[in-house]
Amino acid sequence: MAGQERRTIDLEEGWAFMQKGITKLKNILEGKPEPQFSSEDYMMLYTTIYNMCTQKPPHDYSQQLYDKYRESFEEYITSMVLPSLRDKHDEFMLRELVKRWSNHKIMVRWLSRFFFYLDRYFISRRSLIPLEKVGLTCFGDLIYQEIKGQVKGAVIALIDKEREGEQIDRALLKNVLGIFVEIGLGSMECYENDFEEFLLKDTTDYYSLKAQSWILEDSCPDYMIKAEECLKKEKERVGHYLHISSEQKLLEKVQNELLAQYATPLLEKEHSGCFALLRDDKEEDLSRMYRLFSKINRGLEPIANMFKTHVTNEGTALVKQAEDSASNKKPEKKDMVGMQEQVFVWKIIELHDKYVAYVTECFQGHTLFHKALKEAFEVFCNKGVSGSSSAELLATFCDNILKKGCSEKLSDEAIEDALEKVVRLLAYISDKDLFAEFYRKKLARRLLFDKSANDEHERSILTKLKQQCGGQFTSKMEGMVTDLTVARDHQTKFEEFVAAHQELNPGIDLAVTVLTTGFWPSYKTFDINLPAEMVKCVEVFKEFYQTRTKHRKLTWIYSLGTCNINAKFEAKTIELIVTTYQAALLLLFNGSDRLSYSEIVTQLNLSDDDVVRLLHSLSCAKYKILNKEPANRSISPNDVFEFNSKFTDRMRRIKIPLPPVDEKKKVVEDVDKDRRYAIDASIVRIMKSRKVMGHQQLVAECVEQLSRMFKPDFKAIKKRIEDLITRDYLEREKDNANVYRYLA
Amino acid sequence: MHKLARGSRDKVQQFMTITGASEKVALQALKASDWHLEGAFDFFYNHPQISVTNTRHLEELYNRYKEPDVDMIMVEGVSQFCTDLQVDPQDIVMLVISWHMKAATMCEFTRQEFIGGLQSIGVDSIEKLHEKLPSLRAEIKDDHKFREIYNFAFAWAREKGQKSLSLETALGMWQLLFAERHWPLIDHWCEFLQVRHNKAISRDTWSQLLEFVKTIDPQLSNYDEEGAWPYLIDEFVEYLTENGFVQIRK
Repeated sequence: MAGQERRTIDLEEGWAFMQKGITKLKNILEGKPEPQFSSEDYMMLYTTIYNMCTQKPPHDYSQQLYDKYRESFEEYITSMVLPSLRDKHDEFMLRELVKRWSNHKIMVRWLSRFFFYLDRYFISRRSLIPLEKVGLTCFGDLIYQEIKGQVKGAVIALIDKEREGEQIDRALLKNVLGIFVEIGLGSMECYENDFEEFLLKDTTDYYSLKAQSWILEDSCPDYMIKAEECLKKEKERVGHYLHISSEQKLLEKVQNELLAQYATPLLEKEHSGCFALLRDDKEEDLSRMYRLFSKINRGLEPIANMFKTHVTNEGTALVKQAEDSASNKKPEKKDMVGMQEQVFVWKIIELHDKYVAYVTECFQGHTLFHKALKEAFEVFCNKGVSGSSSAELLATFCDNILKKGCSEKLSDEAIEDALEKVVRLLAYISDKDLFAEFYRKKLARRLLFDKSANDEHERSILTKLKQQCGGQFTSKMEGMVTDLTVARDHQTKFEEFVAAHQELNPGIDLAVTVLTTGFWPSYKTFDINLPAEMVKCVEVFKEFYQTRTKHRKLTWIYSLGTCNINAKFEAKTIELIVTTYQAALLLLFNGSDRLSYSEIVTQLNLSDDDVVRLLHSLSCAKYKILNKEPANRSISPNDVFEFNSKFTDRMRRIKIPLPPVDEKKKVVEDVDKDRRYAIDASIVRIMKSRKVMGHQQLVAECVEQLSRMFKPDFKAIKKRIEDLITRDYLEREKDNANVYRYLA
Repeated sequence: MHKLARGSRDKVQQFMTITGASEKVALQALKASDWHLEGAFDFFYNHPQISVTNTRHLEELYNRYKEPDVDMIMVEGVSQFCTDLQVDPQDIVMLVISWHMKAATMCEFTRQEFIGGLQSIGVDSIEKLHEKLPSLRAEIKDDHKFREIYNFAFAWAREKGQKSLSLETALGMWQLLFAERHWPLIDHWCEFLQVRHNKAISRDTWSQLLEFVKTIDPQLSNYDEEGAWPYLIDEFVEYLTENGFVQIRK
């Protein structure tokens, strides 16, 4: 109702009123004495705008007012702001800019409130730029565009000063850079294009120059300390006054200039590079190296390669060392794996411990380094020392630790620990099957001759092996251990049986261990002519065994037996601990005083090799139970033997050792044979599922399948393929000899 | 002719007009194809020799060489056969003839092999066969036929019941075969086998050797050690380079 009576305000009149308000605002901003706006002032100004915009056309001045609004800013900026900025420079200019910007924001806030009614209808209806944005854009267009270059230059100059260690006004920079962000009105374009790009360029130049001199002056560790420090500082810089989005880009530039560009000369520095750090065990520096280079694309690869080379060299040096000490050994002991080899394995274990720690600690368990360590160990762990393969060395090492009277006095925990580590080394050995075979041989000796020190340890290493190599790997060994447990039970039953059937008692204490054929290494059996007393024993046991099981065939392996016999010498009776073969030979002399070599061979029904070995142990070694004619140190077919009744010894019981036959060759042959079967099986398995396959692919897949047990060589695989062709399992494709087809 | 039904008689006439063959041949062809004209033509053109060989002559020839008490031509018969032909039993042409006969074993022909073989060559007398010798010899020069003859030779030359070919025989056969088709490495190959291998030769090695000879040049420049060549051939290449007989240039 009031509106109807309202007087029409024309443009000049209304604007003159507004102008007064605007001037008052400007005065306030310029710091001139002027009372603050009261709410009444504000309401009057707003109402004037409202009225001028709501009059009927042609008196609706919305458009004119909208233009005037912009002009007010422009007029103020050109008359007041620009001149004041133009005569200031550097830091002072920056301070002025910050002040002017905050003033401008106040001005925008007030003016946009005076003109607010325009925003509500006129602007939104015509989709014009809103008042606040118009105000801010004026600043951008008129001031920012003119001085952004200068500002950027001044800011970067300050940053460089700070890099050189000077104190600067960080708050000022934070405010200035805030303008770059705010002026973008939500987009980062201004900040990125007008400032960040130049900063990054400057950073690159700055550090490129630094790196050029540091790389010449500093050692690798010093350089890395500096680089790490720089990176830390730059990161802090971002926190202090740069926009957070710059962090990644900035650090990348620094990393690139300081590290990526100089990676090779830095890592390969003659007396302080990566090799020197590894050599001198500089773990802290190596950790730093890892930290720095892990951020760089493919930065770790050269370090991992150097690590691998270093470990390989260390290991190879150990192999060489062991090789040298082995060649200095007495020739007759050459084939025996002795103390040096034991020491060698300990050293390898030590080496492994050390570098595993490097990988997990310095290199934070990164896969590249795990791989490098693995590859390095694979190189020298498969070398072997003076004719003994590493598979054999490891098996012997285990044997030495596990058997009774182990030369190294180790606690239970130490033994467990050592076993754990040997099993881990086994992972690097490609001939795992060879290890298994040697291990089985040694295990058999430990079990059968009661040399195993501790059942717990035996089972524990089998568990470890099982975890590492799978159940198939240890099934036979486990069977062997179980056989022994069963055999102990059997023995008690057998003794009860003999007690119950006194008429069968052979008059000799007898213990028999029944073994399962497949689990144990294969032993040759001979039809030795046993002395009657022993034959009786065998018969009694057979009788007993039949009561326990049906359909089982017993094969007697006398070569593994031991006997305790009483020998009546003139001086005293001595108990002799001998093998069954030795006993059988000695008992022949109960029948006759003198026997010739050939008589002994015929009566025992053994091979010449065995008889020579037996006679040598009884007549040429430490204890001469038999006298030999002629009395020399070797056995020949024309020798004659006689019981040495004059023999005596200060002990009441003596063990007459029979040196074991060297089994290495047989083990290697057995393994070779097993490998042929394994390769055949693998090829047939693959071809059965693929039907048709190219040569290279087949070989690759075969190697892949078998690599868990051993590394088959290509020639061996080729031979097996040809054999399978001959046996009509495979044929070559008619028109492509490189492709095989499965025949079934 | 008068015994034939009218339809059959027409067919014989037709057959003779078209092929120009004799009545006897026409009858043979038609009988073989169960009196289908189309089939008879196929038979006639696939067996050109039926027109020229006389089964009776072949029977006589066979009987001349066969063992008195066994229905087979054995060593003596074969050597008589060679004498009649004026050919050395070691001559490669004997291998070609055996190949035509599809003979299972060296120095032996069964009745079927002998008669069938001569029929396929298209002769029914020693004289005719003798005339054919130059063309038979020429078949060695044909790549395709050489491969067949080469692969045939393995089974033909090996001992009965054996899977592989004894080294001695193999060496002889190779010398014979590669005398016709020049292979510069033949002497090295034979020497290599005697020095390094000295065991029988498998069928695979035998047939792959021909591939090796045909595809790999004597400088071994296109030999691929990763390839599927039999083990023995790989070893041979190693032997050649080790002893400096060949320098591999790639």
